[in-house]
Amino acid sequence: MTPTVSLSGLTRRYRDQLALDDISLDIEDAAITGLLGRNGAGKTTLMRIVAAQEFATAGRVRVLGASPVENDAILRRIVLVREDQVFPDVKVRDALRLASWFYPNWSAELAATLVAESELPANRSVGALSRGMRTALGNVIGLAARAEVTLFDEPYAGLDSEARQSFNDRLLADYTEHPRTVVLSTHLIDEVADLLERVVLLDHGRIMLAAAADEIRGSAARVSGSTLAVERFVAGRPTWDRRSIVSQTSVVLAAQLDEADRASARAQRLSLEPVSLQQLIVHAAGGPAAQSTDETRGGTLA
Amino acid sequence: MSTWIKVARYQMVQRFNYVTLPWAALALLFAAQLAVITMLGMHDARLTGLVSIYAVFFIVGVSTVARSLPFGLALGLSRRSYYLGTVLLALTLTALDGLLLAGLQEIERATGGWGLGMFFFRVEYVLDGPWFLTWLTSFVALTLAFVYGLWWGLVYLRWRRMGRRVFLVAQILALLAVGLTADRFAAWPNIGRFFTDLTALGLTGVLAAATAALLVGGYATIRRVAV
Repeated sequence: MTPTVSLSGLTRRYRDQLALDDISLDIEDAAITGLLGRNGAGKTTLMRIVAAQEFATAGRVRVLGASPVENDAILRRIVLVREDQVFPDVKVRDALRLASWFYPNWSAELAATLVAESELPANRSVGALSRGMRTALGNVIGLAARAEVTLFDEPYAGLDSEARQSFNDRLLADYTEHPRTVVLSTHLIDEVADLLERVVLLDHGRIMLAAAADEIRGSAARVSGSTLAVERFVAGRPTWDRRSIVSQTSVVLAAQLDEADRASARAQRLSLEPVSLQQLIVHAAGGPAAQSTDETRGGTLA
Repeated sequence: MSTWIKVARYQMVQRFNYVTLPWAALALLFAAQLAVITMLGMHDARLTGLVSIYAVFFIVGVSTVARSLPFGLALGLSRRSYYLGTVLLALTLTALDGLLLAGLQEIERATGGWGLGMFFFRVEYVLDGPWFLTWLTSFVALTLAFVYGLWWGLVYLRWRRMGRRVFLVAQILALLAVGLTADRFAAWPNIGRFFTDLTALGLTGVLAAATAALLVGGYATIRRVAV
């Protein structure tokens, strides 16, 4: 099956800065993919190129089987309202009306519900909105467009926790009813952890990790108990984030655990806890949680 | 075509810029010229208040892309559709505005310059013929002003300040090159004769050719704009 988004050797260079470095990636249909990474990792640039708002320096981009560049038939099936989106000098209701003209699957009903839920002032000029409200407006357009390729760039920027949860709930409900290819870019991994089916981690313009979220979640576990038992349990296997207090040790074991492992852990009175997606991804990116050698990091990425 | 019409409607959401502003500027200048004539008794003064509507069309052209293009691309428009839709709107508005200007010129002529011998909508040689010629010249010149502004706006969006400077210098250099070439081939007398012999209709033709060239330049630029 042809992937919805297919990138091959994608590179974007800005003078001496390499924003995207030889990215090859396929994003399948009907899945929620998290495009994760720190600020400046290249997430927005990648999305802009997929939506043909920016041009690639080199490489190939295919969306829904064709190049999106100047391709009206493909572009009307993509929506990307960015965190730093520039809006014309119009009111909120006008911005939504404009969006409704260009998307064949636009849901006015959903837009109205989301506007009411977000308490967006329909008669206020977009320029007078707070950052959070502007994000909410972008999210309303992104959801109500029901475009086959729905791209959200930092959809939590400026939103309070209630609004973030509300967006997640709405996205999940509408996605369940109208499955489509959704890509969310964010550096707030915890906020999206429960939504994601696939994860793509970018760092300095390169893909550090691209895998199913469940696969990543199951790729490591925290083992805690007496130091002796823990050391025996993890011996010869990749580990990271080791913490010891007196005779107790806690360590992340970067390996899939099978039933025999679990039985062995129970027998040795070791506790096994899942590691959050946030921790796993920060580790994969070589962030602060990472305290391992390159070899053990490789184990997590695999 | 339907997408172009949608883009034209999209642009018209900011109808203040496209409709109100040009005519408000023109009305203001008309009132000012009227005041000067009545207060100072300068009945035969041929002031150039009419130029304000062309200036506004240029400014609207410059400013229109900065905010409407990024959102247009966010809504899945191609640069081509955006450009052609925007030009379609400009052509429609300038055709209508040209008609209004021709009508006002007829009224000015019929009332003996608004009863004061005033020249506002009549410009000797350029806009002083029959109504349809005034309409055609106004239509072409207003379109030229808008399209030229649009190209400036696109150059700024693509290359920012440096692009604007280079664009200005390039135009000056192009004019200099034309001048030097004319000089080298001793073509000035012929050029002078060409413009002296040029009728208002001929001038409109020259403006139309320039507009077509600007349209091509703007199109080539928008194809390179990233937002």
